[in-house]
Amino acid sequence: MVAFYIVLLFFLIGMLIVGITLVISRILQSRKSYPEKYIPYECGELPQGEAWIQFNNRFYIIALIFLIFDVEILFMFPWAVVFDTFGMLAFIEMLIFVVILLVGLAYVWAKGDLEWVKPKPKLAHLAKKKGA
Amino acid sequence: MSNLNSLQYFIPELFLTVSILVIIIVDLFLKKEKKVVSAYLTALALLVAMALSFQQYNFSPASLFEGMVVLDSFAIFFKILAAFSTLIIVFISLPTFRDKAEYYVLLLVVTLGMFIMVQVNDLLMILLSMEMVGVISYVLAGYNKKNLKSNEASLKYLLFGAASTGVMAFGFSYIYGMTGHTNLYLIQQALLNNNPHPLAFFIAVVLILAGLGYKIAMVPFHFWVPDVYEGSPTPITAFFSVGPKAVGVALFIRFLTTIVAHPASTGLYDFTQNIPIKLPELLAVLAVLTMTLGNLSALQQKNIKRLLGYSAIAHVGYMLMALVVFNGNAIVAVMFYAIVYLFMNFGAFWIVETITPKLKSERIADYTGLGYRAPFTAVALAVFLFSLTGIPPTAGFIGKVYLFSAVIKEQWYLLAVLGVLNSVVSLYYYAYVIKVMFLNQPENNDLIEVPLYNKVLTWVLLIPTLVMGLYWNPVITFTENSLGLFFGK
Repeated sequence: MVAFYIVLLFFLIGMLIVGITLVISRILQSRKSYPEKYIPYECGELPQGEAWIQFNNRFYIIALIFLIFDVEILFMFPWAVVFDTFGMLAFIEMLIFVVILLVGLAYVWAKGDLEWVKPKPKLAHLAKKKGA
Repeated sequence: MSNLNSLQYFIPELFLTVSILVIIIVDLFLKKEKKVVSAYLTALALLVAMALSFQQYNFSPASLFEGMVVLDSFAIFFKILAAFSTLIIVFISLPTFRDKAEYYVLLLVVTLGMFIMVQVNDLLMILLSMEMVGVISYVLAGYNKKNLKSNEASLKYLLFGAASTGVMAFGFSYIYGMTGHTNLYLIQQALLNNNPHPLAFFIAVVLILAGLGYKIAMVPFHFWVPDVYEGSPTPITAFFSVGPKAVGVALFIRFLTTIVAHPASTGLYDFTQNIPIKLPELLAVLAVLTMTLGNLSALQQKNIKRLLGYSAIAHVGYMLMALVVFNGNAIVAVMFYAIVYLFMNFGAFWIVETITPKLKSERIADYTGLGYRAPFTAVALAVFLFSLTGIPPTAGFIGKVYLFSAVIKEQWYLLAVLGVLNSVVSLYYYAYVIKVMFLNQPENNDLIEVPLYNKVLTWVLLIPTLVMGLYWNPVITFTENSLGLFFGK
C-alpha cells in the first residue's frame, strides 16, 4: 500500500509544479501584441490560405493501411532478435502472421484502395443532390 | 499449459481465423451475382466451429496459453451458443445483405471474439476480447452507411463503449494494485491471503461493473440501447440483443466466481465472497432497477424495435436477478434462459425484419390488423411475445420458472416478488402489440405475401419456443452437464 502513497505524492507534486511554472511565466512574461502573434505558427513559414480546407479523405485509408504494415515491422524487430534461439518455430509463426496481413493487402489491392484515384467511384447519390 | 501444447485445445478458434481469411480471399474472386456464396461459406464455417466446440466436451478442463484462457464445459456451452446465434443471424441477414461478404466476415470476427470472451482467465484477456467484440460491433451498427440513424447508432455505441471500457480498465488497475496479479485465479488466491481493505475492493468492483454492465445493458449503463437498437440494421439489432449479451453474462459469471467469490466448502457450486462486501445487495438493487426501468420505458414506445430494445433491458434484469444468488442452480437457470431467450428474441426480431419491408414502417400503429393480413406471421409474433412475457406453455415461462425458483430457494423473496410484478407490467406492452394485430380492424385488407424462406425460418425459431415450453428436460440436462467451471492458473 505504501507504493500508492508515493504515487499520490507524485501526482500532487506534479500538479503543484505545473501550477508554479504557470504562475512564474505569468509574472515574468512581457505582454506585447503585434500582428504576427495572431498568425498560426507553421515552423516559421507564413501560412497561406485558410486552415479550413477540404482534403481528400483517401489520406485516411492510405494512413490506415500504412499503420497496419508499420505495426508489422514493429513486431518483426523483437522477432529478429530472438530468431536464433527459436529457429524454425519462430519462422513459421512469423510466416502465419505475415500471411494474415498479406490477405489484408490482397483485399485492399483488389478493392482498388491502393490507387490514389479509386476506380469506379460510386457517387450516384451525390450526383442527384447536385441536380436538385 | 505451454503455448504450443495449447493449440490443440484451441482448434475451433483457429478454424474460425482460417475461415475468416479464406472467405475474404474467396469473395475477391466471386462475380457480383455469385457473392451470396460467401454467406453460405460463413454459415458452413459456423456449423463446423459448433461441431468442433462440441467435440471439446471430451477434454478435461484445463487452462491454456500460460493461464490466459481456460477451457471448461461452461465456456464450451457458451461457445456453441455464440456460434449458433451467429448462424441464425446469417440466415436472418440473407434477404437484406445478400452480397455483402464483408458483413459476414465481420460477423465471424465477432464470433471469434465471443469465443475468447467466454474463456477468459486473465484481466488483459477480458479487455482484449471485449474490445474485439466491441470494435466490430460499432462497425456493424453503422453498416447502413448512408442511413443517418445507423451512423448515429454507431457513434453512440462507440462513445459509450469507449467510456465504460475506460472505467473498467481503471477498476482492473486497482485490482492489480491490490493483488499484484492479472490472472483471475491468482487474484482470487491473493485476495483470500492478503485481505485488502473492503472499501477499496468494493470501489474496484463497482468500476469493473461499469464495463460489464455496459456490455449486457444493465441500468444505469443502458443509455445506448434504445438508440443503437433502433438505428442499427434489424439483423444486427437482433444479434446485439442475444449473442454479445449472452457472452457478456458468461463473462459476468466468470467475474463473479473468480474475483468476487470462491467455491465454498459447503457444496460443489456454492460460492462465498472473497472479501465480504455488499455486492449481492448492490446487484439486487441493480437487477430490480434494470427490469423496472426497461419495462416502464417500454410501455410508451411507438416503434417496435425500440420496444424490443427496452424489453431486452428488462430481460437482462431477470438474468441479473438470478446472478444475485450466484450458486450452481442460479447459473444453470441463467444458462437455460440464454437458450430460451435466443429463440424467442430472434423470433420476434425476425418477424419485424419480415414485416418491415412490406409495411415500410416500424411503428406499432402500422401493425394494425396484421392478424388478418398475414395470419401466420402475426400468430408467430404473438407466440414469441407471449414467450417473452413468460406465459405457459411457451419456453419463456419455463425459463422464468427456473430463474425465480433459484432466487426463492435462497430466500430472496422480495426480489422474486418484484420480478413477478415486473413480468405483469411487461404483459401490458407485449399484449398491446397483440391487441393491435388481432382486435383492431385494418384500414386496407390486402393480404401480405410472406416468402417461403421467411416462413421456414419462422418455423425453425417457433418450434423450439413451443417445444421447450412442454418438454424441456433434455435441454436442462444438457445445461446442467455443461456447468463445469475450472479454477486454476
